[in-house]
Amino acid sequence: MIDVANLTVKFGGVVALDDVSVRLTDDVIGLIGPNGAGKTTLINAFSGFAPVTGGRIRSNGRDLLSMPPHARARWGLARSFQAVQIVPDLTVRDHLQAVLDGKGMPRSDRAAEIDRVLEFLEIAELRQREGRFLNQFQARMAEIGKCLVGGPRMVLLDEPGGGLSEREMVCLRRVITRIHSEFGAQVLLVDHDVDLIRDVCSVTAVLDFGKLIAFGATADALANEVVKAAYFGR
Amino acid sequence: MKPNFRSALALLFFCVAIFVLPLVLGGFWIRAFTSAAIFALAAAGVGLVYAQLGLINLSQIALIGVGGWIALRLNFATDLPVFLLVVIAGLGTSALGALFALPALRLRGLYLALVTLMVAATFQILFNAFQFPNGGSGFWGVAQQSGQAMRRPSIATSDAAYLAFSMVWLALGLLLIEAHKRSAPGRAWKMIRMSEANAMAAGINVTWFKIWAFALSGFLAGTAGALLAGALRQLDARSFTAIEGVLLFALAVVGGVYSWVGAVLAGVLYKLLPALLNNLGVTSDLALIVFGVALLHAIMTAPRGIAGQFEALFQRKDKA
Ligand SMILES: Nc1ncnc2c1ncn2[C@@H]1O[C@H](COP(=O)(O)OP(=O)(O)OP(=O)(O)O)[C@@H](O)[C@H]1O
Ligand SMILES: [Mg+2]
Repeated sequence: MIDVANLTVKFGGVVALDDVSVRLTDDVIGLIGPNGAGKTTLINAFSGFAPVTGGRIRSNGRDLLSMPPHARARWGLARSFQAVQIVPDLTVRDHLQAVLDGKGMPRSDRAAEIDRVLEFLEIAELRQREGRFLNQFQARMAEIGKCLVGGPRMVLLDEPGGGLSEREMVCLRRVITRIHSEFGAQVLLVDHDVDLIRDVCSVTAVLDFGKLIAFGATADALANEVVKAAYFGR
Repeated sequence: MKPNFRSALALLFFCVAIFVLPLVLGGFWIRAFTSAAIFALAAAGVGLVYAQLGLINLSQIALIGVGGWIALRLNFATDLPVFLLVVIAGLGTSALGALFALPALRLRGLYLALVTLMVAATFQILFNAFQFPNGGSGFWGVAQQSGQAMRRPSIATSDAAYLAFSMVWLALGLLLIEAHKRSAPGRAWKMIRMSEANAMAAGINVTWFKIWAFALSGFLAGTAGALLAGALRQLDARSFTAIEGVLLFALAVVGGVYSWVGAVLAGVLYKLLPALLNNLGVTSDLALIVFGVALLHAIMTAPRGIAGQFEALFQRKDKA
């Protein structure tokens, strides 16, 4: 459970998030909004990369904003980037290992943990492949793999479907729907693909110009007149 | 090249360097190779910071001087064995190296290069003002006349044995770097190089691992300084100028920062090439021109340095 209260983020004069309050309790939550609405900024505020000027983010009584970014990650806040962050000369296995290095998991359990995640993502055979030899879909899966190792509490996925083909989207959809049951983490999914959101998210939040304009059951949120006007155009 | 073959080559190289070179070389060359090995150790440190974090550090020469100062100071103040002097000089210098990382937490690129250059210039002035200890009295330990010499370990009192001793340290230093690259710090450094946000999101403490890289580089510089003090028996402040720091960094890049071979090549270029030119009766200033050309070459066509070009050559052969 994550509780966002009166969160405001400003980049100079630009108000990227304007007094956003929302309680995230469902297992898989959608976050949509037009380009520049503030979706990535919200994820960045969670991670500690956005200039928060007011408000709180709390989870189970812990104040996330008071923790440095790496401590939030170790606490269990995992996120993927809109532009995948895969190191050219690091193997897939070592990407996941790098995340585990900070989590204090006993050495003996690490290999099994990495295998479990790679098998879940169906990229176990890429274990030893370096980042530069991965195609777009494989890199995307490795990026999600970094989020899943080491017992995440909350997984924030920023447009994981960007640039994927239909067939790859099918795989991605299967992965996202099973994250909660397999890893116990809450998932926040940002995507422009409304079908994906409708399929996998029980509730959805809608941002527009930094304001939360709707939040509730996905079908209701998508049917909302204000949302239709803002998001789909008149 | 297969990893096993690679390790075998490295082993062969160091066996020759430790056991054969001291036997076959003459006095002049023994001293030149010793200096080359020592500066290769320091170059490995700058190369590490540049390769892993993309940060330019021009102050390595100052740290070599500091390591030499600590070793000389303790040499005259205590009876500690030389081996320990080298280790203590390394550790002390690594603490200072970690301090040098502080500007690197905020700056990169040209700005960081300039700051490190200023640091090197400051130390150049300090070394000139206080000189290196040579057995004199007081804290600075500088005697005006007839200074005393740095001890050498009892197993390596001759120049030939000291060459082997220095080569062993070089091998150990390069192994230390390799061990880092293959474990958690190496992974963390690569993640940081991708982007700091990426590293932080993966739970990596960016500040800590940057400081660690600088401390490791400082450790190598400090041991190099202590070894140099033993090799030359006394240190001269004029060897530790800021311009030498720039040269050391440039040659580390020319040699290649991504493998140990590059560090060895940097040592060879920095100390053996001038010795060779001297030996041929040509002014060793010619070496500076060669360095300039080599640097241009590296910048324009060989970002992975000469070591990288060798590697590419071998890989082409592998495929054929
Ligand atoms: N680092 C930054 N500096 C200045 N302004 C920024 C920065 N990051 C985001 N913004 C601004 O904040 C607003 C929200 O941007 P954000 O990236 O969060 O949008 P988004 O909803 O993720 O859009 P998209 O769908 O295009 O990814 C935009 O107006 C953007 O220009
Ligand atoms: Mg975005």
